[in-house]
Amino acid sequence: MPKHKPKRGSPLVDMTAMTDVAFLLLTFFMLTAKMKPTETVVIDTPSSISETKLPDAGTLTIFVDPEGRIFLDMVGNHTRFSLIKEISDAHSLGLSQQDMVTFSNLGMFGVPRNQLGSYIREDVAGRAEFKVEGIPVDTADINKSELADWVHRARLAQFRMKQDGKVTDEYVIVVKADKNTPYPAVQKVINTLTDINVNKFNLITSMEGAEKKE
Amino acid sequence: MAEIAQDGGGGRKKGGKVRSKKMSTRIDFTPMVDLGFLLITFFMLTTTLAKPNILALVMPEKDIKLEDVEPVKESKVLTLLLGADDKVYWYEGITDAKLDSTDYAAEGLRSVILNKMDRVKEQFGLQTYKRKNKEGVEEEFNDGSYINVIIKPMKDSRYKNLVDALDEMAICKVRYYVILDVSKLEEQFVKNPAGGLKFNVEEQVEAATN
Repeated sequence: MPKHKPKRGSPLVDMTAMTDVAFLLLTFFMLTAKMKPTETVVIDTPSSISETKLPDAGTLTIFVDPEGRIFLDMVGNHTRFSLIKEISDAHSLGLSQQDMVTFSNLGMFGVPRNQLGSYIREDVAGRAEFKVEGIPVDTADINKSELADWVHRARLAQFRMKQDGKVTDEYVIVVKADKNTPYPAVQKVINTLTDINVNKFNLITSMEGAEKKE
Repeated sequence: MAEIAQDGGGGRKKGGKVRSKKMSTRIDFTPMVDLGFLLITFFMLTTTLAKPNILALVMPEKDIKLEDVEPVKESKVLTLLLGADDKVYWYEGITDAKLDSTDYAAEGLRSVILNKMDRVKEQFGLQTYKRKNKEGVEEEFNDGSYINVIIKPMKDSRYKNLVDALDEMAICKVRYYVILDVSKLEEQFVKNPAGGLKFNVEEQVEAATN
């Protein structure tokens, strides 16, 4: 007869400590991380050796996808509300209070002004299905360029918020373009920005292993 | 799984007193840990901790007057024309410019830039310029050769080409570089390098300020 008794029923390791660690990590992530904003398009940025991080100040991001479509996103619900109200009044879009509140919480958007109302009124699934054309950018006449209008008004709105003490910094303009975006699309964005006197902006790049010379 | 170990329950004697079954419950915590790690993975994947990296870009102002612009020695200028299919065409100066082409590999563009910097250093020696040192005080430094690089991305280049070129500026520590538009003469030069570059100031200025 075998002398060993088969051990049944009792786990070899006490898992309580493991659970503690797991929940500690979980709590850490829940409290410290921010949700990734829902991206209307996926943009794969080129890499660079730059290690400068995006500053904490409010950012106004201009996305350019590989087809050259332009999307905008700006941080700050108060600023967004003030901005959409101004745009709705200035261009007679007739947006309701509810629409403006929805816009303030919306992330990235890329529709021409005339489609803005219908885009906002869609629900989340509807917006995902919406055929977005991007924000028109017309370099021939800067006064007609929708992109220039958005960026200029957004900067003013943020500036007014700063003067009222509601935010601490003005907008940092950031351009996030895909590595395969044809240069003319990015050139239009850069030219639009310089036309409205935004001469300092940042390009988002992904990390690259730096092989530094010397 | 949770198990209830029974002992003292088996082997009941016939006719004897009914013994109470002693039961000990031991709950296995493994599924709880699984859940914990599942939630952690969910949060790790759907949130962002790392901030994206940025490359700062400063463009010249739109309406610069020609009189305000400081002329630069022709021999210090290197012009890069970023073309299609990740090719870089380059030429030096403006008189008797010869077009050459390279790519973005380390042996390509970087060696072109470093080579130019070495030659300018030989010709002009080290140059002094003001810079803030580590304590933030403005001082004069005298430790480099300063070339001027003009980056002109062409219509068929892609955004990655521009970022790579700007990256090379940072890697080679080029102090003075600017991004301008390609002029028609340069486009012709690229198509027909043997024809030479007929440099025309007005057209260059037009391309730069429009």
